[in-house]
Order: sequence, then C-alpha cells, then structure tokens
Amino acid sequence: MTLYGQAIISGVLIGGLYAMMSLGVSLSWGVLKIINLAYFSFILLAGYGSYELAATQGWDPFVTVVAVVPVAVVAGALLQLFFEKVNIGEFESLLVTFGLFIMFESVASSVWSADFRRIPSTANPYASSSLKIGGFAFATPQLSAFITAIVVGLLVKFLLDRTYFGKAVRALAQDREMARAFGVDHRRVAVLLAGLASATAAIAGVFIAMSQALFPGLAVEWFGIVFPVVILGGLGSTLGALGAGVTIGVVAAVASVTWGPSYAPLATFVILIATLLFRPEGLFTRKASV
Amino acid sequence: MGFPIFYLLFGYSLLFWFAQASSWNMFTGYSGYFSFGQGAFFGVGVYTTGVLAAKRGWPLIAAVPVAGILSALLGLGLGFVVFRLRKLQGEIFALVTLAVAFVVAAIARVSSKIDGGSGIALNEVKLPDFLGSFPSMMFRLGLIIAVLTVFAAATIQHSRLGWGLFSINDDEAVAEGLGVPTFRHKMMAFGISTFFAGLSGAVHAVQISYITIEDVFSIRIPLFVIVMSVLGGMRHWMGPLVGATIIHTLTDRLNRAGDLDLFGGNLTLSLSHLNDVIIGLLLIVMVLAVKDGLWPRLARRRWAALAAFVLGVVAARIWIPDMSPIAKFVVGELAAVLVLLPPPALVSRWSSRSGPPNTPADQPPEAASV
Amino acid sequence: MTRSSRSQFPKGLILLVAFAMIAAACGSSTTDTTAGATPDTTAAAGTPDTTAASSTPDTTAAAAPSGDPIVIGSTLALTGFLAPTAAIHKVAGDLFVKQLNDNGGLLGRQVEWVVLDDESVPDTAASLYERLITEDGVDAIIGPYGTGTITAAMQVAERYGYVMPQHTGSLTYTYGYDCQFPSWPAGRNPNVTNSELLYDALESTGTPPASIAFVINQFPGTMYVAYGQPDTDEGGAVSIAEDRGYNVVLDINYPSNTTDWGPIAAQVRDADPDFLFLGALGVDGPNLIAAMDALDYQVPGMFLQWPAPGPMLGAGDSADGAMSVTAFEPHPPFTDDPGYAAIAQAFSDAATAAGLPYTAFETQASASWAAWQILVAGIEGAGSLDQAAACDYLLNNTIDTVFGPVDFDPEQNNYYGDLSYIKQIQDGDWVVVWPANGAPDGVSVQYSPEG
Repeated sequence: MTLYGQAIISGVLIGGLYAMMSLGVSLSWGVLKIINLAYFSFILLAGYGSYELAATQGWDPFVTVVAVVPVAVVAGALLQLFFEKVNIGEFESLLVTFGLFIMFESVASSVWSADFRRIPSTANPYASSSLKIGGFAFATPQLSAFITAIVVGLLVKFLLDRTYFGKAVRALAQDREMARAFGVDHRRVAVLLAGLASATAAIAGVFIAMSQALFPGLAVEWFGIVFPVVILGGLGSTLGALGAGVTIGVVAAVASVTWGPSYAPLATFVILIATLLFRPEGLFTRKASV
Repeated sequence: MGFPIFYLLFGYSLLFWFAQASSWNMFTGYSGYFSFGQGAFFGVGVYTTGVLAAKRGWPLIAAVPVAGILSALLGLGLGFVVFRLRKLQGEIFALVTLAVAFVVAAIARVSSKIDGGSGIALNEVKLPDFLGSFPSMMFRLGLIIAVLTVFAAATIQHSRLGWGLFSINDDEAVAEGLGVPTFRHKMMAFGISTFFAGLSGAVHAVQISYITIEDVFSIRIPLFVIVMSVLGGMRHWMGPLVGATIIHTLTDRLNRAGDLDLFGGNLTLSLSHLNDVIIGLLLIVMVLAVKDGLWPRLARRRWAALAAFVLGVVAARIWIPDMSPIAKFVVGELAAVLVLLPPPALVSRWSSRSGPPNTPADQPPEAASV
Repeated sequence: MTRSSRSQFPKGLILLVAFAMIAAACGSSTTDTTAGATPDTTAAAGTPDTTAASSTPDTTAAAAPSGDPIVIGSTLALTGFLAPTAAIHKVAGDLFVKQLNDNGGLLGRQVEWVVLDDESVPDTAASLYERLITEDGVDAIIGPYGTGTITAAMQVAERYGYVMPQHTGSLTYTYGYDCQFPSWPAGRNPNVTNSELLYDALESTGTPPASIAFVINQFPGTMYVAYGQPDTDEGGAVSIAEDRGYNVVLDINYPSNTTDWGPIAAQVRDADPDFLFLGALGVDGPNLIAAMDALDYQVPGMFLQWPAPGPMLGAGDSADGAMSVTAFEPHPPFTDDPGYAAIAQAFSDAATAAGLPYTAFETQASASWAAWQILVAGIEGAGSLDQAAACDYLLNNTIDTVFGPVDFDPEQNNYYGDLSYIKQIQDGDWVVVWPANGAPDGVSVQYSPEG
C-alpha cells in the first residue's frame, strides 16, 4: 500500500505544478477569450532565467522567483495591452501568440543553444530533496508548486468573491457587453488578470527548472498537459485548474503503478473524454462562475 | 513541357496542405465550430496506411479509401455524440476535439497491433506503379485528393448545406428557428471534412516514410491548418488555399541554416534561428492587419495584388541573381501581401480623393468569432 | 467590380494554377534523371588517397583546393525534441568540414556542407532530402540525427541511389538499403550485444547483481534493445537477462514525455532491484535519480541506454557509478593516437564556442566524425562523385574510422560488428571501464549489490 500511497502523493503534488502551468491559458481563454500560447513561452523563459541565475550566478533556485516573476508580469501586461489596443479576436489571438511562441523558442535556442540545460545538483539541492512525513516523501519542487498553487487558488477565490476586481472578472466572463455597459473597465481588468496569469506561469517555470532539464523544444511538450487540465478544470476556473491538475496527476500515477507508466496517458485521456461527455463545462466549475 | 522533379515534390507538399487546410476549413470555417482535432483524423489516415499497407501488405491504392472511410466514421461517431448536446459549443467543442486527438494517439500507442511505440517503416509498401515514378505518383495522388477536397469545399459553400452552415455560424438558435436541420448539416459537413483529412493523411504516410506517434499526432498539423485557414480567410474555399500557399512557401524557403556575421564577427546571427523569428513576425503582422483573412481583400484588390506580384518577381529576377523560381515566387507573393495589408478605410480614403467612393455592396461578410 | 466578375476570379485563378500543375504532372515522366549520378570528370585524380581517411592532419597534401566546391547536403534537427543532441552533430560536422578544407579539400576541391532544419520530423526530413538531391543537386549526402529522421531520409537516398552514411539510426533491422553505411559501432544486433556486453562487465567484478529492474523508454530504439524486433521471437536485454540467470523483478515502459517520475521511482523502490536497467534517452536519468533521491532510495547500480552525458554529471552523488555505452571517450587509450587527441581538443573548443554546456568528444560526436570519414573515404576511393562507385568502394574495402578499421557486411545491413564499450561515472566523470582494452590503466568496473 505504500506504493500506491507514494504514487498518489506524487500525483497530487505534480498536479499542483500542472495547475500552475495551465492557469495562464485557462484564465486567458475563459475570461478574456484569448487563446494565449505565449504562456508556454513564459514558463520556458522563466525557467531559463531561473537556470541562468542559479547555475551561473549561484542564486538559490527559490530566490530566482523574485527576479523572474516581475519580468513576466510586465511582459504579460504589455502583451495584454497590445491585444486590447488591436481588439484582437479569438482565432487571431491563437495565431498571433503562436507567432510569438515560435519566436521565443528561437530566442531560447540562440541564447542557450538547443542542448539540455539543467541546474547542477551543486547549485540546486532541491531536485533530490523531499519532506518526509509518516514514511511518505513529498518531493520539494513539486510540494512547493502544490502549496503555491493552493495559495494562488485561495487568493484568486478571495479576489473573486470579495473584491470589486473579482466581481468585474466574473461579470466579464459571463457577459462582456453587459459588463461594459455596467461600467466595468475591461482594459484594466484584463491587464491585471494577464499580469496575474503571467506570474503563475513564471512561478511554474521556476519550479520546472528546479526539477527538470530545459531545452527549447520543451514547451511544445506541455501542450499535452495544459490542454487536458484546461479541459477538465473548465475554462477560466482557478480552483478548477487545481482540481483538474490533481485529478490528472493522480489518475496517471495510479495507472502507472497498476498497469505501467505506458498506460498513464490513456487513463488520463479516457477521463477527459468521459468528462466532456457528461460534464463538458469541466469537473470543477459551477455553471456560472469563474 | 517537363518540370524538374523538385517541383513535383514541392507541388505535392503544397497540395497536401491544400487538402488538409481545405478539409478542416469546410467544417470549422463555415460552421464556426472550432475543431482543434485535425490531428486525430489525419492520424487515423496515416496509421490506416501504416497498418494495412505496411503491416498487412495491402496496396496503397486500396488502403487510402479505407482510411478516408475510417476517419469519417470517427468523425461521424464523434459528431453523433457531440452535436446533439447544446452545451458542447464554442470553446468546449474545440477542447472536445483536442481531447479526441489525444485519446486516439494514446490508443494507437498502447496497442501493439497499431503502433505500440515502435513506429512503422513504410519502405515496403506497394505503390501504384502505373502512376509513374515516386515523385510523379505522389504528385498525382496529391493532386487528385486536393482537387476533390477543394471541389467539395467549393460545392458545399455554394450549396444549401453551405448556406445552412453559415447560418449556424451566425446564430444557431436562429437557424434552427428558420428550419435549418442543424444536426444533419453538421454531421454531413463534419463527415466530409474528416473523410478528406483521412484520405490526405493516408497518402502522406508514404511521404513521411517512418511514422511514429509523437510525430503524427503532434500539435503541428492541427495548428498549421488553423493558421493557414485563418490567415487566408475562413468563409470562402479559397481562403485555406491562399493561406497554405503563403505559409508553406515561406517556411520552405526560409529553411536555410547559415550564419550571418555582423559587426566584424562580434555578433553571429544564426539564420536557422532567425527563420522562426521572421515567420513569427510575418504571421503576426499579417493576422493583425487583415481581420477577415487575406482572401476577401485579395478578391477586391486583385489587380493591384497581381501587379505587385509580377513586379516582385521581376525585381527579384533583376536584382538578386541565382534565386530559385520558388524563391522568386515568394518575393512576388510578399509584395502582393504588402499591397493587401492597408486597411480598407485607408484605401477608400485615398481612392476617394481621386474618384467616386466604392459601393458598400463590396464589403465581405464579417467572419463571426467563436 | 461587378458581382459576377468577382466570383469568376477564384475560378480563373484555380484554372490557371490547375493547368500549371497538370502540365507539370504530364511533362514530368521524361525528366526522371537522378541528379549527381553522373561521374564528375574534372576531379578524377587517379589513385584514391586513403591517408585522408585517417586521423592525422595530412600536411603533405595541402594543395589549396580549387574549382567549384563539392556540396554535401543533409538535414539536422536544429529545432524540436531532437535538437539537444543534434547540436553536437552540427559542431562535429562543421569541424570535420573545416579540417577537411584546411587539408586540401576533397578530390582537390573545397567542401561546402548545406544543412537544413528537419525540425525533428521524419516527414520534413524526407522532403528536405528530396529537395537537396533534386533541386539543389547536391553532390553527396550524409544522414540526419535521430532514428525517425534517418529512417525517412534513407528511403529518399535509396530512391535516388545516393550513398548515405548515417550515425545514429537505432532500428538496425529496417536498414536494408545497400548503400547506407552506419557508423554507430554497436553492430546489427544491439538487442543482443548491448546487454551481453553489460552483463559481462557486471560479472567481471565478481559481484554481479542477482536481480535487475527494467524501466524502458517507449522509443523505438530503446524498445528494440530491450525486447528485440517487434513481431518476432528475438529477445532483448530482458530475455537475455533471464537466460543468464538474473531475476527480473520489474519490467515497465514509460512514455517519452513523462513528467511525473514519482510513481516510477516508487515502483523501482518497491521492486528493490540490485541493478536498474534504464532504457533512457536524454535527461531521463537525472529525472529518475532525483525522484528516487526524494524517496531516500538509491539503486546499487544502474545502466542508462543513451543518456545525454552532461546532465548525468550534474545529477549528484547518486549518479556516481552509473553506466552507459560508448564508442569513444576523450581519454587514453582512445587519445593515445595524437591525431584523435587533437580532434577531441578541437571539438571541445568548437563546442564551447557554440555555447554547448557539455563539450566532450564522445559517442555522439565520434559517431558523427566516423560518418564523415566514411563519406570522404567512399568518394576518394571512387576517385569521383559517382554514387555507385563510392558505394562499391565502401562495400569492398576496409575503411579507417575513429573507431578503428571497419568492414561493412551487406549480410548484416552493412553493420560491422560491435565495437562499443561500457563507460561509468567515476570521480565525477565518464570513463570507459569495459572491456579492459578500452579502459585507462587501473580503471575497471565498479559495482556491487551493496551499492
């Protein structure tokens, strides 16, 4: 039973990381109606930034968040401002951000070469470390990502339920025109939301650099994680993303231990299809909320 | 009038994208139901050839139609479940189709009868010799399939089915109120669309030569058909063709690795990296400048575009020696695109200074966003 | 602009394009000549210069190359998931061509290497090779990086009769083309020889493992080594282990894009093997090691199939003692040959200049080097750019490569036997440990089930 227990724990924690990776796309698509592939690039470049600071400048990998997140927030906000200015449509946003995505991949390749970049253990003790409770191990990077995801989830829930900003976001998600008619400043809300989403992407990038090796083509591989999370969690839902990430992580882990890791993707995708057939707005959303 | 082999090969690849983009657009572009799942149907086509022709020795010619049918069955099956459910529209539909693609890939990977993780090499496939050498054969097959697909797209567009799809695009509830059989229309269009996606994929398997799950079911094909169709214009069957031409010729010609030494060698720009930056930038500019896709504008400014194209090719011929014909075509094409970029408001303001204003009857219909 | 004229426009355009295309299709059957097959009479210098295929820079033949350059075409995965390792092959190829040109070129002419980006996609690789051969009319080709793209490109090479030296194709059983020449020195049956070599190495310590866990990447090459050719009774590492009396305590496969290594680490710990056989690619090794470390669990020893060597060195203490296969390492006795020692150093410098984090001239780079040596040997042996002549020469002569002299055996898909070695991380670096003739003095396999 410890085998299953440990696997489930691993799945839950990595679900937090998946959630952090997916939040940007989910919020952007669900609330702002922008399919923003550039978030994948933000995760990647934030990871590279963290790598650079940790491997060459000797920063503690956790501390790199402080440098990387503000840059991402500014970039995300500027991008959103740009989208507002040109009044971009949904399909167009997919294409434009796809253009940005391939550009950013080139940049990463030019600066860091196409080869693997992994923070060496001497500079990053966290990749192998873990918190031990009751005979189970909670791997440090994944645990941190999970805790962060919960904090962010609670923060967003607070924002949504208790603040004007939150109400504005919910209003926009439900009915953009009516919201505007009622005086919601779409631009300001959108930019702030984009900033928040970019911050989560950057944090995800830091945790990825802490636990894995980076290479420019890595971002494409995340499509197969983020979109299932977005599908399961429901567009625009933060807690949904968390629930979905955890679900996917746990299902994959249990499948891995029961039938072998090669069956993990199939199990995940079967859940996906089942969800879409029976509860397409996502497993974790209430019908009219963000 | 012989053409060197290379043009056949390039022609085939262009025809392949014509078929893929057109097949996708004839459903999504017309109906507004955003399908993100082209990969599933393309993949079914490819692997049908892989399993029947490579593993079981069927001749390619026999496997191809079966692939189209299997693809269409998958599409119809999916449609049957999904089109009835009111809530599965818009973004949700996109995600459902994407999920289907993931599931098909996962099944193929796990099943050793299909792929099992080892990939399939297609060097032993029985090719139709009566169609000539390999490049000729591929070109002819590609041509037939592309022609059929585009013909279907054009026919649908101007038919009752097409009218129905556009009305669904504009407002499905209203369309139903008007008596449009929305379920039947969607099923038909989706079935035809996925049939051609599979057909084209089945032939393409031989071009890929060695098929693997990662490659066949990657996000590349679904993303590219979307890019090509949106760029070219989604409400007309010419849109995907224009988009495919521009994207494919550009990516083909820009694929040259080399180094550009600037500032006396202090800064070396690796051109292979610049390729993607250039394409990304061009894509962004084109998409932002031309809201409904290039085709509607091309239709209206066709003489200006044609003139720009010819000028571009001639200029390339004169000023840049040793340019291949395709590269010259790209220069001309970029020149034509340049002419299409200025927004109509600007153009009519400029032309109204010299003549009567254009009649509003020439405005193309607004493409509805999902 | 009337409505009817506007709707005629697309039809007109289509008809024009269609006409052009049909004309192309009809006219083509007469022009199916293969470019580059005609003998190049200007460069037929007579006796083949075999010294150029050796390692030492040949200062006696340094006549300045003249005339049109010889163009050698290939693709490489400059972007995509194969790009990390392909970067090494780019550096190796560039260096080889540079040295070749500095030493008089090929057949007295400069060599130019044209590399296109296949984006790690077999489809693209196939089209680009066809383009290189038919549009660019390159004089010769060399293979891309990665099993998928190599397998696809090979079919194109076969179609046009081009000699294709290739370095990293792992599906040895599909390479039936007579004129493909593999430089990877693991032989025709890595599913047998790879594991026999490993088990021999382990047994040489006198304290071999009793139990082995197999965790295999679902990549065609690694699956082949572990299980043998699909749809056959051939065995692989797993069945050979059983035949040799090892207890197989775990046998699982994982998708290449696995992100959660926790469950896999937990399964390995649960199986508690004496030895772990990880059919690894890229950074699978460090990922699994980190996940096992997080469980406070270390395996007493492990073998990785084809890992990226650099990241393993940065994977911490648990990575000590990890083994893999290699064909060349930049240390004695491989570097006893001053020519190759110089090449290893030059490669290291070039890789550093290119920004690569790991710069050792080892398996990948040397396999690339060997492939180039084969190409050059074939062309010089034939005395011309005639592909059939080069193919013939290569099939009927012993060719000098960085791995030693090789004879291509057509019965074995042109594989020449197993020349690989086992390497191990000792004192923070990779070193060859088995067979003994490849190990530096005093170095041998370190393994015991106690860890």
